[in-house]
Amino acid sequence: MHEMGIAGSVLEAVHQELQKYPQHRATKIALRIGEFAGVDPDSLQFCFEALVKGTELEPLELEIEWCRLTDGRRGDELELAHLELDDAQEAVA
Amino acid sequence: MNRIAIERKVLSENDRIAEELRTALNGTDTLSLNFIGSPGAGKTALLERTLERLPRGTRAAVLTGDIQTENDANRLRRYGYPVRQITTGGACHLDARMVETHLRDWIGDGLDLLLIENVGNLVCPTSYDLGEDAKVVVLSVAEGEDKPLKYPGIFRKAELMLLNKVDLLPYVPFNPELARENARRIHPEIEIIETSYTTGAGFDRWLNWLASRVERKKVSVKPAGEAVATA
Repeated sequence: MHEMGIAGSVLEAVHQELQKYPQHRATKIALRIGEFAGVDPDSLQFCFEALVKGTELEPLELEIEWCRLTDGRRGDELELAHLELDDAQEAVA
Repeated sequence: MNRIAIERKVLSENDRIAEELRTALNGTDTLSLNFIGSPGAGKTALLERTLERLPRGTRAAVLTGDIQTENDANRLRRYGYPVRQITTGGACHLDARMVETHLRDWIGDGLDLLLIENVGNLVCPTSYDLGEDAKVVVLSVAEGEDKPLKYPGIFRKAELMLLNKVDLLPYVPFNPELARENARRIHPEIEIIETSYTTGAGFDRWLNWLASRVERKKVSVKPAGEAVATA
């Protein structure tokens, strides 16, 4: 239910990062989510797509790494991992 | 392809405000508890009975969150402690900013105890740090024993589980042993107290837990201050 808010926070972070790279478009944002973080990955994916649709960020992809305690992770991760950018566009003269 | 590492929490802004709140509440030795449970688990009733039985002279205050209405605040105000309703207007959880906004002028009052009743929900409130000392999960016997397995996040993060409405046990097919076992599978160290608003069962134990945590807070905060002073 709060996945819409989480998706909004992720997009805010993308916008912030992109300000440092004005020549690029973002292609993918990667998150780490723990099994005890209280976030449903499918619901987050759905909200993310809904928020991106029709904006200048489309088609930005969301990648979720699911972190389980049994794999030696903390399990409460709710973290931005990395952002992928396309190759720099030449500035139009 | 260009990959840029970001490496920060998604809710870093919430966490920053929560940390400010924690510092402020530590400064006044205020024990702060965040109560989380499904709608109807009995959070408000538990707090009512708790306020009614708090030792005289306890400086306590309550923030209670709901999507709409002042109903809970009106119930809780009858016990003579300051109470504020936070209506989220749709959000399914409280965040640190809402708590900060509603708490502001209470911080200087030197509270012993701040009770925060979150919006009824076992999922979303789990993700938002409110600067509290501990989360308390309220599970009622009118729900299922498998709630800890279905919603592990909150049972993992809560220090204490209040297994509530135990007066209903003769009438519902709920196995309290199984519920305890499930909670401990998710969080082996979780403390569990069985409570009932109706009969008052478990309230001696719960109020003792509360009193010892209030006391521990006063002891734990002071030496740190002295250490700084002598350093």
